[in-house]
Amino acid sequence: MDKITIVQAILCGIVYWLAVGNLPFVGLWSLQRPLVCGMITGLILGDPIQGAVIGGTINLVYLGFMSAGGSMPADMGLAGVLGTAYAIVGGLDAETALALAVPIGILGTIVWAGRMTLDSFFVHIADNYIEKGEYNKIWRANVLFPQIMCFCMTAIPCALAAYFGSAYIQGILDMLSGKVLTIFQIIGGLMPALGIAITLQYIFKGESKVFLFAGFLLAVYSGLPLLTLGIIALLVAVVYVQMTSNMEAKAVTANGAAYDDEDDEEDD
Amino acid sequence: MEEKKTSIIPRAALIKAWLIWETFPQTCYNYERMMGQVVAHMFSAIINFLYKDNPEKRKEVMRREIEFFNVHIEFGACILGMAIALEEKKSMGEDIPAEFITNLKTSLMGPLAGMGDTIWQGVVIPILLAVCIDLTRSGSGNVWGAVIYAVVIVAAAYALSYWNFMFGYKAGSEAIMDFLEKGILNKLIKGASIMGCMVMGGLVVNYVKAVCGIQIVSSTTTYNVQESFLDAVCPNILPLGMTMLVYYLMSKKRWSAIKIIGLIVVIGIVGGLTGILAY
Repeated sequence: MDKITIVQAILCGIVYWLAVGNLPFVGLWSLQRPLVCGMITGLILGDPIQGAVIGGTINLVYLGFMSAGGSMPADMGLAGVLGTAYAIVGGLDAETALALAVPIGILGTIVWAGRMTLDSFFVHIADNYIEKGEYNKIWRANVLFPQIMCFCMTAIPCALAAYFGSAYIQGILDMLSGKVLTIFQIIGGLMPALGIAITLQYIFKGESKVFLFAGFLLAVYSGLPLLTLGIIALLVAVVYVQMTSNMEAKAVTANGAAYDDEDDEEDD
Repeated sequence: MEEKKTSIIPRAALIKAWLIWETFPQTCYNYERMMGQVVAHMFSAIINFLYKDNPEKRKEVMRREIEFFNVHIEFGACILGMAIALEEKKSMGEDIPAEFITNLKTSLMGPLAGMGDTIWQGVVIPILLAVCIDLTRSGSGNVWGAVIYAVVIVAAAYALSYWNFMFGYKAGSEAIMDFLEKGILNKLIKGASIMGCMVMGGLVVNYVKAVCGIQIVSSTTTYNVQESFLDAVCPNILPLGMTMLVYYLMSKKRWSAIKIIGLIVVIGIVGGLTGILAY
């Protein structure tokens, strides 16, 4: 495939808007993930399987990315849609697509910060509705107006980027040969370490630390697929929690009498 | 005292309120009130059942419910259920100060957001994604991983938030506090962390790629560092080292994700140009 049609570019823009606009059933937890929006982008460009594979690879960087307290470290929706579109049009392999998608994701945070700032305006419209007692109109301030704005800020630039970017992809590809391509592939291969490390910040604590290395060694020497590894991990976690809570329960009964008096005082 | 009705909000309106919360929580996410407006949008579904003959009181409810609010959507749903229950009781004549409702909301917001983000975005989504990405890339590739991920995560989000919302509505604030203090949740987090760590260990092996390209050429043989040394010690030791380095820089040195991306690009360029790293 060597060119995106205007209709396909517009559809890509709409997918990005749906992914980051946080609309019903799509967005936030589902379409925003490159695995999902990559597959849909692939569908638009006529190759959903390739789209899912490339989107899934791009998604490795954003495994544990959190949008907490209104912050957004990277726009994975834009990285997923444009990264997949460019990869399919240019015939890139998944690792190169990933290296290309990451800077796109950083660019996308501008859109996010812009929306978070401008959306404040609509809250005052809602304040106004409340003062007038027109509660049934609040949905306009909460959904309709901000989503029209969001559409202009997301769908249009993304459609333009998909259309014009893919026209130049051949030129970029010519640059991506030999040493430069190898460097892109190395970067793409290292990048998933970021997604894993971010996830580890929340779960690599105390007693669970050793299980990272257990999972690593099990995967190295068994070659099991992740689904099987996940089931084994679930069983290991259940057994471990059961055993440790049994031990804790025993410890409590053994020391129970000594602690009773203190408890009573606290209750007062 | 005469028998009082326990509820004046019909179940259908309550479900509509929950649907608004779960469906539009971030359609107008903003720095000023965060999710405050969504709470007002949600209350617009039930407000007409409160203070039937007192529009001024209704307006007061709406004014205080559009104030700043921010929480994890699914885990924080119980706060909204609770807020509706409290406003309902207040409108039926129970002596509940308005500040009490606002304070309760803001004090529960923090712990539930922290816990929700950790479990949901830190454990559930990464594990599900990891398994589904692996599924998608298995064989010559397929779309099932993407489809399964999307269906499972949306179903889980709606189910969890519905259950949690109704729990908050029926059980009230004491039950939420009680639940937060009980050990069940700690066990859940501990188990989820163990499972998450194991899956992440497997992910390092499958998807982080770092290969040493150094070859030591002598007159008789070529010594390949990756194959003859690193693989003999432990295969995939470089990807593990790289992951632990990034983890160390982020958690101990407080590096941001953008800084890490910059570092990876530099490592890639230097490693690629010198031939220390290969693909």
